[in-house]
Amino acid sequence: MNKKRQSKIDLHVPENLLVTPFFVFFLIHAMQLGVGILSFETYIARDAGYDAWISLLIAGAAIHLLLWIVYNILQNSKGDIVSIHEETFGKYIGGFLSIIFSLYVLLLTLTVLRTFIEVIQTWVFPQLNVWFFTLALLLLIYYLVAGGFRLITGLCLISVLLALPLLWLKFFPIQAGDINNVFPIIDHTLVELLSSAKTSILGFLGFELLLVFYPFIKNPEQSKKWAHYGVFFTTIIYVISAIIAFIYFSEKQLDQVNWATISLWKIVEFPFVERFEFIGIALWLFVVIPNICLALWAASRIPKRMFNIRQTYMVGIYCLILYVATIMLDERQQIKELNDIANMIGFYVLMYIPVLFLFKKARDKVRDTN
Amino acid sequence: MGKWERRGRNQQLNKAGTIQTLYKKLKESKDFLVYHHTGPTPCVISYLKTMADPKILNESILPGLKNADLHSLEKIKEAITVENISITDQAEKIKEKVLQGYVVIQMTENDNQVLLIPASTKVGRKVSIPEIEFSVVGPKEAFVESLDKNMNLIRKRVPLPELTVKELSIGKLTNTRVAVVYIDGIANEININTVMQRLKEIDYDQMIDSSYIAQMIADNSNSPFPQLLDTERPDRMTEALVEGKIAILVDGSPHALTCPTTIVEFFSASDDYFMPWHLATVFRLIRLFAVLFSVLSTSLYVAILTHHHEMIPEELLATIISSRADIPFPPILEVIILELTIELLREAGARLPTKIGQTIGIVGGIVIGTAAVDAGLTSNVLLIIVALSALASFTTPVYQISNTIRLVRFPFIIGAQLWGLIGVSMVMALFIGHLIKLQSIGTPFFAPIYPLRFTDLKDAFIRLPFNKQTQRPIQTRPLKSERLQPSDANKKRDIDE
Repeated sequence: MNKKRQSKIDLHVPENLLVTPFFVFFLIHAMQLGVGILSFETYIARDAGYDAWISLLIAGAAIHLLLWIVYNILQNSKGDIVSIHEETFGKYIGGFLSIIFSLYVLLLTLTVLRTFIEVIQTWVFPQLNVWFFTLALLLLIYYLVAGGFRLITGLCLISVLLALPLLWLKFFPIQAGDINNVFPIIDHTLVELLSSAKTSILGFLGFELLLVFYPFIKNPEQSKKWAHYGVFFTTIIYVISAIIAFIYFSEKQLDQVNWATISLWKIVEFPFVERFEFIGIALWLFVVIPNICLALWAASRIPKRMFNIRQTYMVGIYCLILYVATIMLDERQQIKELNDIANMIGFYVLMYIPVLFLFKKARDKVRDTN
Repeated sequence: MGKWERRGRNQQLNKAGTIQTLYKKLKESKDFLVYHHTGPTPCVISYLKTMADPKILNESILPGLKNADLHSLEKIKEAITVENISITDQAEKIKEKVLQGYVVIQMTENDNQVLLIPASTKVGRKVSIPEIEFSVVGPKEAFVESLDKNMNLIRKRVPLPELTVKELSIGKLTNTRVAVVYIDGIANEININTVMQRLKEIDYDQMIDSSYIAQMIADNSNSPFPQLLDTERPDRMTEALVEGKIAILVDGSPHALTCPTTIVEFFSASDDYFMPWHLATVFRLIRLFAVLFSVLSTSLYVAILTHHHEMIPEELLATIISSRADIPFPPILEVIILELTIELLREAGARLPTKIGQTIGIVGGIVIGTAAVDAGLTSNVLLIIVALSALASFTTPVYQISNTIRLVRFPFIIGAQLWGLIGVSMVMALFIGHLIKLQSIGTPFFAPIYPLRFTDLKDAFIRLPFNKQTQRPIQTRPLKSERLQPSDANKKRDIDE
């Protein structure tokens, strides 16, 4: 290995920019929980009906396995996705794959951003001035991303702290719902369950960003358990949300509902406030912002690592791309297509992780024998 | 170019030159006396009349000179019964001492060798009760303008040889004494070095108050949030020192700074430690709620009435409609009119002498408020909200942060007008991001929330009893973190033991 290559692979992050392993819990969880949870109930119930919560558990287990693989890849290389790609596939193919990964993460960012704006358009402001709102939101996001990884980690923590109380609101639909909707348990075939699990797994996308921020974790070996706790916590939240939606809506009704979780906020009523979904969506901004920031940070970090461009410029360029794309996608159908494409690519990325693992193993073996 | 010229002039002002040039300069002032002493020991006595203590001059110096014929400065030095007399020919030192009120004795007027006799006297206020950080119980002493008196107030509370005072002088023209105080062995050297380094780098001509320093050494001087805590209470400062913090005192300022600090510290009052812990906890939580209320209430009013009126329950809607029916303005204008009125009252109240200020407050509050409602400019409901939020912002124990709260409100109102609750959330995200990024002397300002420090939460939003406060806060990175032996303190007794 020549010296130049060594310097690129051996990336050093200053001590004061690292985060403790504990925060990996929040990073993983906050990245997985995005806008998907507001509407996933309808989609997963299409294949497996009201047994879909079992599919969620299957999907969660699969993610645990993939997370284990990701950690295995990272632990042996002590780098991030850029150096792993370069080690495994060489400079050109590896570089190409890294760029693809960066663009995929950017696509994830766009999906979350556009879908959240769509939620606002649907539920709060039908007449929203999209270009102005997006501009303000992206300026805010630029400011936050420019604050660096530690700031984004802090936002992930805040997002969990602020969004967690929203779980209490699930109590209202339980009171109004019928538990018999969920029974009988398991009256679908394994194929149906697995096909629903394939849909469910898309809700867990985002943990693969670990491939980018791994070097920013202090004592990364210890973060493993926190990452798994994070995935487990996401699974629990998905299962609770799904079961409560199933309790409240009948199967046919759920098929007609676009945003099940938001619809459930709607029935919350306090003596001083009604139509709780406005508060819910406003608080959901704190879930969406860390999500967008972390993804944008990761997407812009890859070109920085590859070409040594200032990350500030990359964030600016990507923000511009996001801005233009958000304004161009103005029809509901387009946004749905965007989500489908992102989900499809996301699924391929998940499939790619074991492949990368095998290639890397083979490559390591060849190197060892040499 | 202009900057260089200015710097050159400043240097000239500071340069002493010879004693003759110094005397020539000083003689232009009426209060500089040069007195040819005759009698057995002829010599020249000169001093600044306004700075020297006439008692020392009359009772110690002049009698000493009368006793015998002394023909050298050494002899005079022995004859005068004042301590710390020195002989020097350095013009720089003479200048410094004369300006402090020392009496200078020369054998003849053109001698370079002089005797410096400390005789300075300082006029200043006596130690009085704290007026900004008042507390019902607890110590009633507050810092004054004199650095030495303030040091006395601290030293008598912390009788430790480890209490270290580093002094430097800042301000090219004012040469103000600035003291950095900390307990050696508890305060972390990294923090001390950071503070010393930043103080040394200050380059300014004057240093009037500690708030100058607070702005100059702040990590982010563009932030509306104060990053150093200022206090006028020696007891509060003692607490900070014991926790491993560093204090900065400035001669001429009745406010000391302590650092590093966190956002939650600005909402903890001295009273919290003088009360049983559960009461203190409840009151602290009320104060935190008050701050949130003060920042958010008017913006929520704007957001809900402008964009989300569906959120108001039917019964409440009737009340709001009846109070707003005659108002010709949209909620945003209504809110801005009232908020500005309150800010106006506050500014007027702060500038006017205390007694008139009180009158203005009452007159303003009652008369203007009622008149505005009667005239149909604002609604009753909003008047209550604005008055309460103004009241709530006064509950902050530290004056500086209440100013921040005053200002921070307005971005929220703008956000609310633009995009309702989502706009409020966006501004909130902006401030949370800003706070996470902010540092106080290199340590995170948003702790113990982020970075999450569970052990520091014992004295953040709540205050646990003293026997549970076994560790000093991690925030300051103290060298000795143990406060007490936890094993004895936390042992629980079984029934009938």
